[in-house]
Amino acid sequence: MIELINVSKNYPNGIDALNNISLTIGKEEFIFLVGSSGAGKTTLLKLLYRAEKPSAGKVMVDRVNVVELNAGQVPYLRRNIGVVFQDFKLLPKRTVYENVAFALRVTGAPRSTIRRKAMQALELVGLLRRVNSFPDELSGGEKQRACIARAIVNNPPILLADEPTGNLDPTTSWDILQLLDKINRRNTTVVVATHNKSIVDEMKRRVVELEGGRLVRDQQLGTYHV
Amino acid sequence: MFSSLEFFIIEAFRSFRRSALMTTVAIVTITVSLTIFGAFLLLILNLGNVVGTISSRLDLVAYTGKNLSLEEAGAIQVRLAKLPGVERVEFTSKTEAWKKFREDFGGQLNLEETVHDNPLPHAFALSVRTPELLPVVAKEVADLGVIEEVRYSGRLIDQMRSLVSAVRVGGLSLIVLLSFATLLIVVNTIRLTVLARETDIYIMKLVGATDTFVKWPFIIEGVMIGLIGGGASCLILKLSYESVAARLALALPFLPIFTNQLVLTLIYAAVILGGTALGMLGGQISVSRALKNES
Ligand SMILES: Nc1ncnc2c1ncn2[C@@H]1O[C@H](COP(=O)(O)OP(=O)(O)O)[C@@H](O)[C@H]1O
Ligand SMILES: [Mg+2]
Repeated sequence: MIELINVSKNYPNGIDALNNISLTIGKEEFIFLVGSSGAGKTTLLKLLYRAEKPSAGKVMVDRVNVVELNAGQVPYLRRNIGVVFQDFKLLPKRTVYENVAFALRVTGAPRSTIRRKAMQALELVGLLRRVNSFPDELSGGEKQRACIARAIVNNPPILLADEPTGNLDPTTSWDILQLLDKINRRNTTVVVATHNKSIVDEMKRRVVELEGGRLVRDQQLGTYHV
Repeated sequence: MFSSLEFFIIEAFRSFRRSALMTTVAIVTITVSLTIFGAFLLLILNLGNVVGTISSRLDLVAYTGKNLSLEEAGAIQVRLAKLPGVERVEFTSKTEAWKKFREDFGGQLNLEETVHDNPLPHAFALSVRTPELLPVVAKEVADLGVIEEVRYSGRLIDQMRSLVSAVRVGGLSLIVLLSFATLLIVVNTIRLTVLARETDIYIMKLVGATDTFVKWPFIIEGVMIGLIGGGASCLILKLSYESVAARLALALPFLPIFTNQLVLTLIYAAVILGGTALGMLGGQISVSRALKNES
């Protein structure tokens, strides 16, 4: 599903965020991308949904080198990749329902489809009771659920989560990981960038470790540290 | 597509309300600019109309030498009438002219005592087919060799013409300048909306909205601003033109006022269209910049 081939990324300020990374992620895999702050996790995710372009190498998503997509094609790539953030990035003046529906609306989906799919996504993340709440009326866990609902409402084959538990307490973090696991079992490739040790150790999934932009470990059923 | 259209309009109204003050400023600016634009069009139209009417009324007057007999004058009239470009020749004999002169001014001057002989020549008033022919015909008449003096108000017409073209050039430059200023204000108004909606735009692009889709609400916002400004200006122009025209017609009944309803309607339509175009362009520019920064 995802394949990085000799990928490097130098930012214009001279920082080498990624250094010759090669990595293959199969369909329906669940992987943790670990590494200390500044290791290059966010950069790697950004290459996948073309928020950044690599300085070298190929980034294959569903057998398409996304580096070569022109600006007009990028939106269609993004409809196939859901993204979840540490800071949720919910629109504050819209209700939970509107936030989720927004992601469908902007793809020009018909109204009936929007309603049905938005409610399905909200049900999946367990947020049906809160559909009419505004983001600042939600707890951190609920905000992250809303963010996840928005990311999956298009049924994307890939879900990327960048530090999804960074702002959450341990119990809530665990709930969110259970939710991501559930989504993964519905045939979605899930990539979670995190430095939450206890969760990685508990989940026992494939772990890819970055250090200073280099891939230093790729381990099945791994833990946070070796 | 229908649900998208609804989305665009709702989004446009949202930002409309959010930056109400700037939106009002933009609408007022567009209204003022377009009103000046329309006023200039109306002014140019009317000046042109005045010049056209005056030139068509103006004749060329040819005077003979003083000692010509009536028979000789009659022969000249026949030759004048045959000149190309001449439509009609009217003859006023020196006797008639003198009589009229004494009637008009006799009370003021003591003519009978000071002037014994009729000092006036015979005169021919020539109607020329088009005003442009006036100088040509004047030359033809002079070239006949039997005419002492030719007069026509060519200078006045030339001056009026250059006045009209000066107004036209000045008005055009003013309109261009105003359009730029207006565009700038519209762009900045919508830029505020764009800034207020940066997160929205970011999320829209993240979840796969095309650039075109992201642009629509802002373009619609611009069109709404332009349409309201254009409509207001159209109303102002129509009402004030009608009242000014009515008053002028009473005060200066000889002045030809432009009242061709079709052309006036076209001008009002141009004002509304101009506003809409300005608004649309403003929306387009402001959001395009934001989209370039975001990717
Ligand atoms: N937009 C950017 N411009 C310049 N440097 C960047 C940018 N984004 C990240 N970096 C740098 O790239 C390196 C990797 O950053 P990042 O991918 O965010 O790491 P992580 O997500 O693992 O913390 C860091 O040194 C960071 O400062
Ligand atoms: Mg990061």
